[in-house]
Amino acid sequence: MIDLVLALLSGAVGGLIIAFMPQCGSRLRNVVALSSSAAGAIFSWRVAGAVLAGRTIRIAGTNGGLAWSLHPDPLGVVFALIASTLWLFAAVYSFGYMAGEERQRTYYTYFLLALSVTLGVAFSGNLVSLYLFYELLTLVTYPLVIHERTEEAMKAGTKYIVYSLSGAGAILIAIVITYSLTGNLDFGGGALLADVSPGPGLGWALALFVAGFGVKAAVIPLHRWLPQAMVAPTPISALLHAVAVVYSGVYGILRVVYSVFGHELIGQLGFSHILPWIAAFTILVGVIIATQQDVLKRRLAYHTISQLSYILLGAFTLHPWGLAGAILHMISYSTLKVTLFFGAGIIAKQTGKVNVSEMSGVGRQLPGTLTAFGIASLGMIGMMPLNTFWSKYYLMKGSVAWGKSPLALVLIVSGIINAFCFIPTVVTAFTGEMRQPVANKERDARLMLVPTLLLAGIALLIGLCPGLVWPGVDAVINRFF
Amino acid sequence: MLLILLPSIPLLGAFALLAVGDKDVNMPFIASSITLSLAGWGLRGVFRGEQLTYTLPFSGPYSPTFQADILSCVFVFLAAFLWWAVSIYTPEYMKKEGRARSFDISTLLTLSAVLGVFLAGDLFTMLLFFELMTISSYFWVIHRRNEEAIRAGYFYLFFSIFGGLLLALGIVFITTATNGLPALGRGSIPPVEPRIFAWGLAAIVAGFGIKAGMVPLHLWLPHAHSVSPTPASALLSGLLIKVGAYGLIRTGELAGWGLQWGNTTAWLGPALTILGSCTMLLGVIAALLQSDAKRLLAYHSVSQMGYIILGLGICLFLGNAGGLSLIGAIYHIVNHALFKAALFLGVGIIYVRTGETNLYNLGGLLRNFPVTALLMFLAVLGITGAPGLNGYASKTLLHHAVSAAAETGLPLMVWAERLFVLVGVGTATSFAKLYYLIFLGRPAKVEISECESRRFHVSMVILAIVMLGIGLLPGLIPQILAVPAAQALGIKGFAAGIDHLAFGNANDVVSALITLGLGAVACRVGLATGVFHWTPPLWLTLEGLGSILCHSLRVVGRVANESYASVVRLISSMGRAIRLSVSSAYRKMNNSTDGALGSITLPGISADAALLMMTLAILIACYTCIDLQLPNLRLPLSFPAWNIFQQLPH
Repeated sequence: MIDLVLALLSGAVGGLIIAFMPQCGSRLRNVVALSSSAAGAIFSWRVAGAVLAGRTIRIAGTNGGLAWSLHPDPLGVVFALIASTLWLFAAVYSFGYMAGEERQRTYYTYFLLALSVTLGVAFSGNLVSLYLFYELLTLVTYPLVIHERTEEAMKAGTKYIVYSLSGAGAILIAIVITYSLTGNLDFGGGALLADVSPGPGLGWALALFVAGFGVKAAVIPLHRWLPQAMVAPTPISALLHAVAVVYSGVYGILRVVYSVFGHELIGQLGFSHILPWIAAFTILVGVIIATQQDVLKRRLAYHTISQLSYILLGAFTLHPWGLAGAILHMISYSTLKVTLFFGAGIIAKQTGKVNVSEMSGVGRQLPGTLTAFGIASLGMIGMMPLNTFWSKYYLMKGSVAWGKSPLALVLIVSGIINAFCFIPTVVTAFTGEMRQPVANKERDARLMLVPTLLLAGIALLIGLCPGLVWPGVDAVINRFF
Repeated sequence: MLLILLPSIPLLGAFALLAVGDKDVNMPFIASSITLSLAGWGLRGVFRGEQLTYTLPFSGPYSPTFQADILSCVFVFLAAFLWWAVSIYTPEYMKKEGRARSFDISTLLTLSAVLGVFLAGDLFTMLLFFELMTISSYFWVIHRRNEEAIRAGYFYLFFSIFGGLLLALGIVFITTATNGLPALGRGSIPPVEPRIFAWGLAAIVAGFGIKAGMVPLHLWLPHAHSVSPTPASALLSGLLIKVGAYGLIRTGELAGWGLQWGNTTAWLGPALTILGSCTMLLGVIAALLQSDAKRLLAYHSVSQMGYIILGLGICLFLGNAGGLSLIGAIYHIVNHALFKAALFLGVGIIYVRTGETNLYNLGGLLRNFPVTALLMFLAVLGITGAPGLNGYASKTLLHHAVSAAAETGLPLMVWAERLFVLVGVGTATSFAKLYYLIFLGRPAKVEISECESRRFHVSMVILAIVMLGIGLLPGLIPQILAVPAAQALGIKGFAAGIDHLAFGNANDVVSALITLGLGAVACRVGLATGVFHWTPPLWLTLEGLGSILCHSLRVVGRVANESYASVVRLISSMGRAIRLSVSSAYRKMNNSTDGALGSITLPGISADAALLMMTLAILIACYTCIDLQLPNLRLPLSFPAWNIFQQLPH
């Protein structure tokens, strides 16, 4: 119980300390940021250990159905673990990346506040709390999107706010419908709507939920905010726009499918059979557009859109294997994507190159970075020694076992396009000739490089031994099936 | 434990090489010697009929297993031996290419991966090492770092990645269809869902087919094999593509040799026969038209893999009666590894000394390279199937098997038999051409840097001795390796057939000699008429079709992006138009006290209120028109605000 509160508060406390600290040395600030994100990670791990061991942790308001409630279950703690662990890496990376940038105090304040809010999303035990934290996440991350304060950044911020808040509006209506049907919004028991007979009201609720959470999960055509939000500093793009914020949308959809509707009811709604195809469409279109982008971060952004729909595809595949694939992909995609973004950030910082077409020869200047980048790009294809192989394997297995084998083919085709998307970049980075060699700014490179390499190593390790993350996946499957 | 040790020795060698820096150590030689001797000592039990297995104690969905049956042992020995023989050659050769250390590291990593594939005990582990092999051998292909090498590298990498993905898909289908983990070397599992199982087999065949250079998935092979440094070409052609063949054999095992499950697996034999015949034929035709020695050899690898795939297909077609065919295929794998490596090494010697691989710029080198010429002659005799050398033995076995299949009267098999003979002649023709243009013919005007080097010849001599040995004792390998391997794989009904098969059968010898003679004549005619210089038009070649496909894919990508961009532009301009009109209307309303909306004036109401009322009206309309079917709509009584009202004193 106390772990839960501490995990939730550590980020907020750290953020507030930094906010109210007078403009002092960056070292103290880094210590506060590191220790509070470390605390967040440690306490999340403790909560996760307790929950996966089968203990119930629940804190809730006392006023019935619409009260706030924190009640982590296996799905929630998996999300919390991913977010809080990666937050630690991103914090260390930020020390290197943000050194010498303006507005560091604002940056770290909201960076840490966002940790608390994300954990709130993960731990929330009913739809009301989920909705509140979900809205709050938009507001807390807005200052990070507009960090650069350029015109482009302000426009991206406005777009982000408008998209996210309209999505949240749709969710609110869907919550109202749900509440009116059942009078209960708690995730604790079985699926909320399990006893309701299928009807158009349910279809509306599902559509609104998916549309609302789909904004943050960047389902095409609700994805437009994401590529623009890439004006944020790289650690933010890596952590928030590849993992935390977008995962809150994905997590919401997983909740809706498995906790609100339940896989039995949702299978009876005709609408649910369109959903995997929307995800498949997003997978293919996202990655095809990604291959056409020249700015590396934009390419990564469209690639994110594509990969998030892998998870959604697993969620909409109403089969235990599909859910296993979704959970595994949440874990493995996040490690690899953060690696890719970190790599892109290092390249941009050290050489000033942001376009893919300029990258020839940078591999010789930054061999470690490009090695990590290369490993991560192989992972995005779904090659065997990396963790994404397992997620892809279970996603495909889920679609085949559910009786929709063409979805497995979509994943294969997407894998090939992924190869076209990143492999040539890595190869020319190592073998191409370096145009206008740039002096290597050694400063702080190690603070950025170490988390990048570590994450690539973790991805390899999980790939070789998927048993490391299997207890979490297993617990989620047992929870819902 | 030994089963993990074998792949990890070269791996450790690679790390050691990284650690020692630029010192001159022939690590591939050391590592492959250790591996070879360790394998000889450790795997001896397998030949007594034991099957070694080892499982790493990992929890979760995947615990890597390793196994060694006789088939694995054949391949392990072949790999270790070939690496050992070639590593004697490498240091001298790499003086010309440079970057010897990185080459050695990728050689060691590839050996490790290859051994891992052969010793893998489940499909996951096999795929793991298969992908490692792709990555590590990729560095061979791009070793020269020039544009051609990079291009060939892309070909190789993308094809291999696609193959890996297909394998993954196949594993998915097979595990789903059989509800079990895909173990290797333990026969087949009866499928629960036959259709999915059949799809899985197809995906796996395609996946391994890419590695094996199966037409039409062979496009990467000639590029990759001709641009990599010669020792790498020798190993690529000699062994790496055999990994695909090994996988296909294991697929046959998974499919229960097409015997048990009717239509689920019955298509596999004829399909492989067709693919194998096409591979044989197209490979040899393409080889005839090449002017570059290494490309010629590379296309011949495609063609010879066709023999092996054909053998497998016939084995699957005939079932238990096709054991001969499987033995022929395994035997041919061993033989092809030997003579193709020797051929590549010989061409490599010519390249090092003259800097030339174009056949038409060479000629009359017999005087300058007598020893190389002799060794090459043996290898050429081997690959063309001349009696007395190893190729003859395996080709004869395969030919007998094909003839047996043709006796069933199925037109497909009859044609396969005819093609088999035709391809034999084609092989003889193209090697007559290769040998004539390099060593005989007009003396060329190339500069020869330094004549023979002993160190080059050592590895070729080793290979030649083994080839001669097999050629003189053709029954040895089938008896001690191929037959037990096939029996362990679950094929029983041929033991009698192999015993009385005399390799010195007069009919076979005569037909082999006729093939050779026809080949020589065809070569003479071809050189005289200039047929070999014909370049087929782009649309006729698979290469051309491939590049057209590639180009069209690129166009698809661009079109998709442009249409996406235009849709986005359209939507955002519409959005902007709506926003502008709404905001101007709103501003007008706000300014007027009477709240006008378009032509309707609402006297006395402020504009905000008008908007609110309109929204409410729309909502009410929605509620009345669209039935949301909300039964038992309850007020949220526990909402805090409601609580306050309830607690008010009455």
